[in-house]
Amino acid sequence: MIDALFEGLLLVLQWKAFAFMLLGVGVGFWVGLLPGLGGVTTLALMLPFIYAMTPIEGFAFLLGMHSVVATTGDITSVLFGIPGEGTTAATILDGHAMAKKGEAGRALGAALASSLVGALVGAFALAVAIPIVRPLVLSFGSPELFMVAIVGIAFIASLSAEGGRGMLRGFLAGGLGLMVATVGQDPQAGIARFTFDSLYLWNGLDLVPVLIGIFAIPELIDLALRGTSIAGDVPKGQLNKGALEGVKDTFRHFGLTLRCSLIGTFIGIMPGLGGAVAQWLAYGHAAQSARTAEERAGFGKGDVRGVLGPGAANNSKEGGALIPTVAFGVPGSSSMAILLGGFFLLGLVPGPDMLTTHLAVTFSMVWTIVLANIITVVACFLFLNHLAKLTVVRGSLLIPVILVLVFVGSYTANNDYGDVLLMLFFGVVGYLMVAGGWPRAPFVLGLVLGKIVENNLYISVARYEAEWLTRPIVLVLAALAVAVMFYPLLQARRSAARGG
Amino acid sequence: MRHPLALGALLLGLAVVPQTGAAQSAPYEGKTITIVVGFKAGGGYDRTARILARHLPKYLAGKPNVIVQNMPGANSITAANHVYAVAKPDGLTIGTFNRNLVLAQLTNVPGVKYDMTKFAWIGSAASETTVLAIRSDLPFKSFDELRKSGKPLVIGATGPGANTYDFPLLLKEFLGVNFKIVSGYSSSADIMLAIERKEVDARAGSYTSLRPFIDRNLVHPVIRARAVEAGIEQLPVDENLAPNARAKAIMALRSAPEVIGRPYVMTPGTPDALLKLVREAFAAALKDPELVAEATKAKMELEYTSGEDTLKILTEVLSQPKDVVDEFSKYIKFGE
Repeated sequence: MIDALFEGLLLVLQWKAFAFMLLGVGVGFWVGLLPGLGGVTTLALMLPFIYAMTPIEGFAFLLGMHSVVATTGDITSVLFGIPGEGTTAATILDGHAMAKKGEAGRALGAALASSLVGALVGAFALAVAIPIVRPLVLSFGSPELFMVAIVGIAFIASLSAEGGRGMLRGFLAGGLGLMVATVGQDPQAGIARFTFDSLYLWNGLDLVPVLIGIFAIPELIDLALRGTSIAGDVPKGQLNKGALEGVKDTFRHFGLTLRCSLIGTFIGIMPGLGGAVAQWLAYGHAAQSARTAEERAGFGKGDVRGVLGPGAANNSKEGGALIPTVAFGVPGSSSMAILLGGFFLLGLVPGPDMLTTHLAVTFSMVWTIVLANIITVVACFLFLNHLAKLTVVRGSLLIPVILVLVFVGSYTANNDYGDVLLMLFFGVVGYLMVAGGWPRAPFVLGLVLGKIVENNLYISVARYEAEWLTRPIVLVLAALAVAVMFYPLLQARRSAARGG
Repeated sequence: MRHPLALGALLLGLAVVPQTGAAQSAPYEGKTITIVVGFKAGGGYDRTARILARHLPKYLAGKPNVIVQNMPGANSITAANHVYAVAKPDGLTIGTFNRNLVLAQLTNVPGVKYDMTKFAWIGSAASETTVLAIRSDLPFKSFDELRKSGKPLVIGATGPGANTYDFPLLLKEFLGVNFKIVSGYSSSADIMLAIERKEVDARAGSYTSLRPFIDRNLVHPVIRARAVEAGIEQLPVDENLAPNARAKAIMALRSAPEVIGRPYVMTPGTPDALLKLVREAFAAALKDPELVAEATKAKMELEYTSGEDTLKILTEVLSQPKDVVDEFSKYIKFGE
């Protein structure tokens, strides 16, 4: 096994493989920055280029590209409040709030450093999990996946404001998210739900335009109304400190970064949960780390922990997602499904063989993830402080550019004008939510978890009837969900006792 | 060129030449053909379109650019409507979409604006057979053993309208096998994993997608639908086991589109001359050795069906008597 580990590294370091990886990193860099054009689509478009490559070169190229998309996606999220990728929206909540406070550099530093930690943890997990991956993945059936999603929904409690009113609003927003997730043809009876006889709504709502609308539009309106730059209220010259500070933050809250990396890895390993879920759970967990009521209230207003959590999780999930792809030939996410096509093109059959005969190839993937992320993060740091300066550019100059990104971003996801309308609709919803003091995070959590909850509950009941409720992992997860739900209450009481 | 007549003759010549020589031999010169795919990038329909886009230009005089545009939505009804009614019949738009769209037309799904038989049909690039594959550690070697045992079998499925659901549903309804169909898995890959962890016992799906798992003996196929592929010829065919004519008709209706696994059309009204060129290029490209090598590498099995044959199948599907269609709609909903 150790031999294979080093053989894998040597394979990636061959000049041709390394050159292809750099090429992939270059492409992934831009794909991540631009909203809408996602990692999945790009993987599909790049697939034909690997015909002539060896397996090692092919994977260095594809994975090199894929593993930096989430890293640079965070940059767009922080700077402009537009999700650079569907999987980097959670970074906006605190990352963009920090940019508005003049801490763009710090937020970017934190996002990149935590991304790197996340990627390393994910890659490490991939390496370590190889011997135990089969029993691990196989012990999580539909009932367990349902309970994981329930734990996710329980995080709404920590994403909502304190007090009865705050909780009520949080759970109502979450409920709305769950309801929006049901739009489209249902998978059990084939009935069209909330489609109003429109073909557009038949396959459900695409996440990207909804996220762009709900996050970017309110920021744009806010920016236009203030008539200043993004970091408008900050005295000049205060901006450039940050980037290194953000790196320090990552190590100041290293425990949190590590835990969120593990959450991301775990979500990645579980097929069918999807990339968008990981960062929201991580964000929920980060919000839990607040010790006092004031700290809690600071989340969403620019707490660096709200950047570290999702930043780490959305990179660590990639290492995790490779695990079922490699070990079972079952992709853990839609990008992995395309990568699976790459396996075939390169003449490899994913499955148990990848953990024995082709172990060195598997490890070369681990190394590609590690190296690609290190290269990207180092490259980004070179001009991070210049990027941060964008937040002091006058709003009237920036708004047209952001608007173009917003429109192009929502259109390119599916090449459908309906998506632009959808983005605008959820832009209005997002603006009303911000104006009325309703939290957006629970809504998105409901939206990304809705289908998972519904389908896995149905499968659990149809397959096991009531019996699934007694499965040990289900019980453990149920206890965890209760703990997650009541933790904020407990915290409030404790801080009240301390204060009084 | 001082003589005005000479200039006139030259201009006349310029005006005439493109219409006669060049235009008739290479109407596609300098043009761009768009293949509109009714699904997102990365799936089987998309990959087939992209492989064709690379090799089609070789067989069209003038070597036009061929590009792929993804237009997902409403299980590709959106793309079909677009190619049918919005695109110009100038031979520059090719459409490829869900093979079951003919069933959407048959069962009057709201939103369908196309008439399948009126498209300018190029043909089909593959036929996709549905098989039911059961876990290899189960004691049943054949479909017959399975049926006779009467033991309940849990079938994992994505949802109505997909072959993972519809194929076992008809087996259950008409052939009296004891199936419990559990749907809601987000993809056929997820069902495979459910099979690995023994949450479900079997799944239906296209033979192509099941091949890797059959090869490593996780599952083995026991019954197939009408369309045939190399390696599974000997499997029993669902409609041959049908107890009566009605059941047989419904099963046949479900599997008819599978022969047209990757349909390719152009906008109705496309000039016959252009359609002929594209049809010939399509047939030739699918036999191109480079294309075949690439497809084999990608584990895609491409098979050419002519436009005429495709139309024949579609006309047969659409001319079913009303009572058969009504009965059919009771079981099968268009989806995915």
